[in-house]
Amino acid sequence: MNRRMLVNLALLGLLLVVLLALPYFGVSNFVLGLASTILIAAVLASSVNFLGGDGGMVSLGHGAIAAASAYAVGWASRQGLDSMTQVLLALVVTLVVSFLYGLLSMRTSGIYFLMVTLALGMLIYGLAFRLSSVTGGENGISGIAAPGNLHEEWIYYYVVLGIFVITTGALWVVSSSPFGASLRGLRDSESRMRSLGYSVAQYKLSAFMISGTVAGIAGVLAVWHTNFVSPSSAGVERSVLLVVMVILGGIGTLLGPLIGAAVVVLVENVLSSYVDRWPTALGLIFILVILFARAGVAGSVPKVLAKLRGRSPSATPPGDRSSPEGTAVPDRNHNP
Amino acid sequence: MTSTMTTAPRRWIGLVGLAATAALVLTACAPPQAAEPEPDAGGGTEAAVSETLKVGYISPVTGNFAVAGQEMVDGWNLYWELNGNEVNGVTVETIVEDDAGNPEISLTKAAKLVEQDEVDVLVGPLLANTALAVAEYAESVGVPNLHPVAASDDLTQRNANGLTVRTGSMGGSQANYPGGEWAATEGGFDTAVTLCADYAFGWESCAGFVQGFQDNGGEVVEQLWFPNSTTDFSTYVSQIQAAGADMVYVATAGGAPGPNFLTSYLGLGLDMDKLLLNCCAADQGTLRAMGDQIVGLKSVSYWAEGRESEAVAELIEAYKEFSGGNVPGAYIAGGYITASLVASVLEEQGYLTGEELVSAITESTFEDNIFGRVSFDEYNNTVGPVYIREVVKRDDGNLYNTPIATYEDVDQWFGQDPEEALQQPNYSQDFQG
Repeated sequence: MNRRMLVNLALLGLLLVVLLALPYFGVSNFVLGLASTILIAAVLASSVNFLGGDGGMVSLGHGAIAAASAYAVGWASRQGLDSMTQVLLALVVTLVVSFLYGLLSMRTSGIYFLMVTLALGMLIYGLAFRLSSVTGGENGISGIAAPGNLHEEWIYYYVVLGIFVITTGALWVVSSSPFGASLRGLRDSESRMRSLGYSVAQYKLSAFMISGTVAGIAGVLAVWHTNFVSPSSAGVERSVLLVVMVILGGIGTLLGPLIGAAVVVLVENVLSSYVDRWPTALGLIFILVILFARAGVAGSVPKVLAKLRGRSPSATPPGDRSSPEGTAVPDRNHNP
Repeated sequence: MTSTMTTAPRRWIGLVGLAATAALVLTACAPPQAAEPEPDAGGGTEAAVSETLKVGYISPVTGNFAVAGQEMVDGWNLYWELNGNEVNGVTVETIVEDDAGNPEISLTKAAKLVEQDEVDVLVGPLLANTALAVAEYAESVGVPNLHPVAASDDLTQRNANGLTVRTGSMGGSQANYPGGEWAATEGGFDTAVTLCADYAFGWESCAGFVQGFQDNGGEVVEQLWFPNSTTDFSTYVSQIQAAGADMVYVATAGGAPGPNFLTSYLGLGLDMDKLLLNCCAADQGTLRAMGDQIVGLKSVSYWAEGRESEAVAELIEAYKEFSGGNVPGAYIAGGYITASLVASVLEEQGYLTGEELVSAITESTFEDNIFGRVSFDEYNNTVGPVYIREVVKRDDGNLYNTPIATYEDVDQWFGQDPEEALQQPNYSQDFQG
């Protein structure tokens, strides 16, 4: 167990070093921009991952939360407000939207939770599309400049990387805390937790607020990166892709969101330059993962490694750990 | 025993699955290095003898807008196939990128084209939000951006910049103002009811028609709006009937709503002579879907495939061969005319990039191209003819939108002062000018 943790830590450290060194490999701004896009998508996916993995609540509305925060930045920048005010406004909008989401969905679970978040996402999309005096309608809001030196691609990359590390670390801390344990308890059996005296709705609302805040941060990062926001950021497709990223990477795993985000963003932006039928490729990858590696890439690799090592004594714990996490969400629906 | 029996095959299946996924992921990462040298090598060898104008062409060739996106690409390619991609010693090399109609992907693709492929000019994309996002990025890196299809008014108004040119279409309101003018004057209608798509393009189209109609003494009695996803138009048709106006103006963004509306409208036995459609409600897709029953249907657009002109005839002949007998619509024409404008300035002035390329295009007047006589205003928007068209069946069995009236040199300002016009809010349901 101890050796395993050490190996994991070493791997994490190595990944961080590679990510830190990326700008020094002499890569073009395009590659750095792509890396930032992946990290931003990973921050957003990790917010979905936290809610889905620990709380068992799969949301189809997180794209819209990020978009709401991005629109707040966009609107504030169009009013000529400075970047500090833009961020504050984005934070307020994110908290209000997350609170509304949480309030409306805290008494639901499973498919009903999915429907409520889907509906709220559609609501925000509709507002972005129709409330054109504030949101610019279908045209969106363009010319949203990042503050100060952040428009330099490599500086922005480091900012995004830093925020990715902080949010991922923070979510890990929350997930490892007693609060996270209670959430997993809720996920596995709501009725048991209720009978033990836990206030289920309160826990769900808090989890949603935490997850929504991370999504809002991703929204600000995204809008400063593209300098642009339009209703398509709030669309259902975006939220569905987030869930795809989380499942591809491995729901409930630490690095799953990053892996899933990397796969999806690379297929969308790089593979599509060479393959006409790239949406088919994305679908194929997703189907293969669902069929053969339900715990996702991050969840399955340790399992496979353990199996390859055969009868090694450390083989059982990883298998045991990842299997309930990987299958947690489908199983949940069968609980009363 | 049984457990070992079942885990062994499972392990293999899992491994195969993982390997397949890994292979797919690798193919996603590998091509950049593998495929990149090809265009570079081609450009490199040619540059020794002549200059190469590298064009990055962004269009949604997958996703919901794939049909329109593919047509936009086809039109561009058709011109170079027909005329050769070497003009006056300059080789035009095109790299097509797919953005699936998603602005984030459009922006990444634009950055890829500019930084990795080092293109001289960006063309496209198609949708309003993607076009505005790319136009702004292109300006920030000093690369010209030509727009063959995008119709958003703001592209050449509030968001106009020195490097963005609308080459192959018109603003939504601009293309429909003459429709209102025609209906109130030659058409002889006093009152109108409008039915437009309920988003930016529909608001702009309707605003153009409404202003043209009212400026010439017409009265708009009611404005109806339909969501893009509408399939059954019978409720709207009965509201149109109840409004009791002399005429009906309909604007869609192309695709299924045009035929669906006409099916409901004609199915209830209403008078087709009272109808005036916009470009896209009566595009070739609608004509092919509805067939002979809509011969005589009137519409307003900057593109008229039935116009008597050598340039148009040449395009129609080439496209028929390319597509197996179809008549080209506005998206094909937009791609094609953009290519022809680029070719024509290269022919006159040789290799051009950056602001020089933009000013070479915008300071020229192009006589007799497929749109007619086209020039540009100081916001780099097309100033050209708008046609009132009528569906005519020709001997080849195809339906053509044929001009019955022409408004030359239509600009985007309707006689207003540009600065004043830009002070107005964007068109919406509540503000129609």
